[in-house]
Amino acid sequence: MLARPGLPDFDYMKAESAQDVFRLLKERGDEVKLLMGGTDLFVQMRDRNESVGILLDLKHLPGIKDISYDKKKGINIGAAVTLNQLSAHPDVKDHFQILSQSADTIGNYQVRNRATLGGNICNASPSADMAPAALVLEGEVFLSGPDGERMMALDQFWEGPGKTALKEYEFLAAVHFPNPPSGAVGRYLKLGRSKMGDLAIVGVAVLGYPDSEVPAGIRFRIGINSTAPTVYRVPQVEEFLAQAPLSDDILRQAAGEAMKVSAPIEDVRATALYQKKMVNNLTFKGLKEVWNQLVIS
Amino acid sequence: MVIHTISLIINGTEEQLQVPSNMTLLHVLRDKLGFTGTKNGCEAGECGACTVLVDGEPMNSCLVLAVELNGREITTVEGLAEDGKLTPLQQAFVDLNAVQCGYCTPGMLMSATALLRRNPHPSETDIQEALIGNLCRCTGYQRIIDAILKASRNGGTR
Amino acid sequence: MKNSESSLIGQSVRRTDAIDKVTGCAVFVDDIPFGPNLLHSRLVRSPHPHALIISIDTKEAEQLPGVRAIVTGKDLSARLGLYLIDRPIFAEKRVRYFGEPVAGVVATTEDIAVEAVKLVKIEYEVLPAVYDPVESAQPDAPLLHPDLGSYAVANFIFPEPGTNISEHFKIRKGDVEASWSDCEAIAEEQFRLPPIEHVPLETHTSIALSEKSGQITLWASSQSPFAMRDMIAQCLGISHSKLRVIAPLVGGGFGGKAGVTMEACAVVMAQAVEGRPVKLRLTREEEFVGTSVRQSLVSDIKVGCDKNGTLLGMELTYYFGGGAYNDYGVNIARAAGYSCTGPYNVPNVKADSLCVYTNHPVGSAMRGFGMPEIHWGLEQIMDQLAEQIGMDPVEFRLKNCVRTDDEIVSGMKMTPIDLETCIEKVSKAIRWGKVEKPTAPNKKRGKGIAIMWKAPAMPPNPGSSAVVIFNEDATVNVEIGGQELGQGAFTVAAQIAAEMLGVSYESVTVSYPLDTKYSPYEWQTVASRLTWSMGNAVKAAAGDARTQILETVADHWDEEIDDLTIKDGLVISFKSEREQPLDKMVIYGLPNEDFEGWKGGPVVGRGHFMPTYVTNLDPETGQGTRAVVHYTVGAQAVDLEVDMETGQLEVLNIASVYDVGRAINPDLIMTQIEGGAVHGMSSAFEELKFNESGEVLNSSFVDYRIATMADIPRKIHGDYVETPVDDGPWGARGVGEHVMVQTAPAIANALYDAVGIRFPDLPLSADKIFLALEEKFNRGK
Repeated sequence: MLARPGLPDFDYMKAESAQDVFRLLKERGDEVKLLMGGTDLFVQMRDRNESVGILLDLKHLPGIKDISYDKKKGINIGAAVTLNQLSAHPDVKDHFQILSQSADTIGNYQVRNRATLGGNICNASPSADMAPAALVLEGEVFLSGPDGERMMALDQFWEGPGKTALKEYEFLAAVHFPNPPSGAVGRYLKLGRSKMGDLAIVGVAVLGYPDSEVPAGIRFRIGINSTAPTVYRVPQVEEFLAQAPLSDDILRQAAGEAMKVSAPIEDVRATALYQKKMVNNLTFKGLKEVWNQLVIS
Repeated sequence: MVIHTISLIINGTEEQLQVPSNMTLLHVLRDKLGFTGTKNGCEAGECGACTVLVDGEPMNSCLVLAVELNGREITTVEGLAEDGKLTPLQQAFVDLNAVQCGYCTPGMLMSATALLRRNPHPSETDIQEALIGNLCRCTGYQRIIDAILKASRNGGTR
Repeated sequence: MKNSESSLIGQSVRRTDAIDKVTGCAVFVDDIPFGPNLLHSRLVRSPHPHALIISIDTKEAEQLPGVRAIVTGKDLSARLGLYLIDRPIFAEKRVRYFGEPVAGVVATTEDIAVEAVKLVKIEYEVLPAVYDPVESAQPDAPLLHPDLGSYAVANFIFPEPGTNISEHFKIRKGDVEASWSDCEAIAEEQFRLPPIEHVPLETHTSIALSEKSGQITLWASSQSPFAMRDMIAQCLGISHSKLRVIAPLVGGGFGGKAGVTMEACAVVMAQAVEGRPVKLRLTREEEFVGTSVRQSLVSDIKVGCDKNGTLLGMELTYYFGGGAYNDYGVNIARAAGYSCTGPYNVPNVKADSLCVYTNHPVGSAMRGFGMPEIHWGLEQIMDQLAEQIGMDPVEFRLKNCVRTDDEIVSGMKMTPIDLETCIEKVSKAIRWGKVEKPTAPNKKRGKGIAIMWKAPAMPPNPGSSAVVIFNEDATVNVEIGGQELGQGAFTVAAQIAAEMLGVSYESVTVSYPLDTKYSPYEWQTVASRLTWSMGNAVKAAAGDARTQILETVADHWDEEIDDLTIKDGLVISFKSEREQPLDKMVIYGLPNEDFEGWKGGPVVGRGHFMPTYVTNLDPETGQGTRAVVHYTVGAQAVDLEVDMETGQLEVLNIASVYDVGRAINPDLIMTQIEGGAVHGMSSAFEELKFNESGEVLNSSFVDYRIATMADIPRKIHGDYVETPVDDGPWGARGVGEHVMVQTAPAIANALYDAVGIRFPDLPLSADKIFLALEEKFNRGK
């Protein structure tokens, strides 16, 4: 019924290598839960009061806390990098600033010293704050399994609320973001019930970059959360924006189209109609801000 | 239930402990070691009453397992004042009446102490962003902001 | 006694408890160490809002290793209550709200208790539930308390057995029907607000120990240890001397820790495991779901004025959603009744204030005690009426607000206050009349004002007492029963004692934790009454101690008492200029010449205060000579902006001025004004949300949001006015609740000023505001 005090019983284990992870997952299967920052997991465990056999801490796996940037290839961010580490990292701030922006809106400073990028992505909440930016940056996930590592585009990775494409025995090792197109500008706009520290009622990430090959001269990528079972892009809207010279009117139309695509449900946080209207308003605002910045630069 | 033997360095003193896997740092501090200055407000990472510093970084001790922190340095509110002398931040809280019921105060002090160390001259917005995870129901927050600003002018905090 | 230049009264001395609190030394109930024999408990809570309990099977739960006892309401027929004895400790035959305690499990660890709770099997027969108080007041509503007629009740509360109405307060004054024809303008509206929670940072916690000797000790986070003792002792049929309540510092009360909530459960569980202390600590989720709430309210108000804007008539019905048990809530409906007009002169009034049972959590005291609930509608409808008659809202209030000696709605003469100056000061501070530019093109800006009044809502005879004793080194201990919730009660008590005794403030300590075994009696720490009532008792006790000292010294010096005074811990004679330090003599007395005997001895100052002049009110008309001890009044003005793109409000400035009688500690008053303004503002956005099965949907800080550091106004202009009350220490009255009573309607009025939309229902969510803006400005079509 109500969340329990403290955490239910479990055995804590630290994985020292990927082999440890695979072995345990194979041997103990359903009994094992993977631990990153714990900020979502512990709250869920209190809420559900379900005993877990083994809590397997992945934070000590080699390289899982590393960030490495390559001028040509992009950036690799280990799954256990905390949101504060991510936000403050010079390579993230300099080249993937929209990720810093997004991370800074999550929870509070204390939570961000524990919450991880990998955890946020694997939790697969429809209102995940890292997700819109991750989508517009066209990120990919490195999934590590007993048969080796594979990569998957993020927009394939989220399958539904709380559901990912992780196979049996797999874990998320790192996230890769290719360098955004030259001259790209990004913004993450988040509407919460309070000024800071809330979940997203609606969150919209907009990335824009100059592209002389389209009539608009600018291409946009738009990622939206909280208004569908998973976070989503709006390719038809993005295409619409590319096809004609930009104006406030065009941006408004685009925002209206995005609103039409959105499919929010009423919940304890907001009505469906309000969420839809906010998709409209935040998308317009995001497009306008990014467009203004591109025009200036 | 597995019991782990760990060592935590709390306010400069090493403590050897036997802790079950599922015991959070909050409960180890309060129930095993008697450091009751750190408070239990929600056990969900929302209110900040349980904020402590782990290697100098503020964390909600309700959402960290003690066993994860083997060998790490923990600072609680009891570790701020030295030899009975309040830090400039603690003194500012006292001087400016930034304390009413006092339940949020330890968490506020820990978050603010860390803030002043990484940003010795914060703006009001910096303070709000750093302490958004510390809730208070009594003071209306302005005195707390003013106390942090005052401490930052008096040479910050140790 | 004349005030010297160095008087402590009016000085913003430092809080007595601040250093303990910033060093982590301050002890709250959950901090108290108990030994290895401490047992832990958890409550089994009802999953239904209204149901009969068919059977409870605890066998499997009892067999879980580590479980020491399981208690239910089966052998506990007695009920408890403050004004109406309607509440069982554990539900016996029927549950009346989602989350109501049905059983208690005691075990060696909290984990085992959690598991045992899952094993308790309860069979229910679900009954139809009712949540809306208007619906519940109708004759065909499901009956929640068929035995209402058999409950003991205070002689000033009037339940209607056979219905869900637990209190019906009436005002019949003048001829309201006739007055309508003289009205040039009439406004009529229905206002609604949902239940909200106190949300103290410290959740409810208690530990109880029942010893084989029959002695029970209860440690609790409690505003009122004596009321707690009284209610539980009476309910369980034990002597007060056998139940000891110890109440350490409270981490936020706001009325939620007044009376008794979960503490009686701890006592009953302790009795089942005689000899071992049992701890019961609520999680934050339980704090949202299972503790008392501020009652919901539906107000139907009709008010009219003549062509000059003078109020002529008011007709209203208040339907308070009292929740499952109304033992405390009945007095809220009553207090709302005798103050139903708000701080205005209205000669013709027909009012009915009802407390109605609903299948919601227990409605009880919350900061303001009915006043925030009724001012939500009153202060808006006054603006509506003022607009109809073409008068500025400030002008309208200045014209109609109560003044000292005016006959108010209950027939008594208004006690000394100065509301006009409060109104004038806030108007000036908020720059009333000046249209401010919004800070951004997508925002609209507006200002609103609201005024308030409140009297302490108490039984007619609530007493305070105090004892002042010395240590050998002449430091002082003040013994009181009034609690420190953060409002500064201990600090003010120390100031008053030091002032009366002529000693330094630093030499005075207020003894705590409060302990009914040692502390002198205090009715409750509620009603903003401590500075006034307990202050009187402390002043009397310190004065009594002072007299004893002066008598001894006068005798010793062979001088007149009137020629002596105490200053800085020295007795001084104006006449002979002799000096006598206090230390040692306050315990050992003074020797006669040549040590031929001694005079004096241990100084023990005692004092008490109890108002003696409150009268009954006529049950049919609500009229009486003296409904209450006094009123405190105040004004607030709000300057805010609406973001037209999101519907979010930002309060930019709040101006807040209250008449406190006398500011004993000016900065502590300012801290109440500031904290209250933010709490009041927060209350405009808060709401306990329920689904159709009466289940709370937002039982965490994620979805029950309170004001954060980023939500506060840019500036709070706080100030006070001093119109002394007849019988307070140096004229002082309390202000702890008043400071948040009218913030929500001030915000609603400012919102109307900004966008021309009236919002009669709380909360003022961005969602609601935005959709209303869309409709009004015909956007998004």
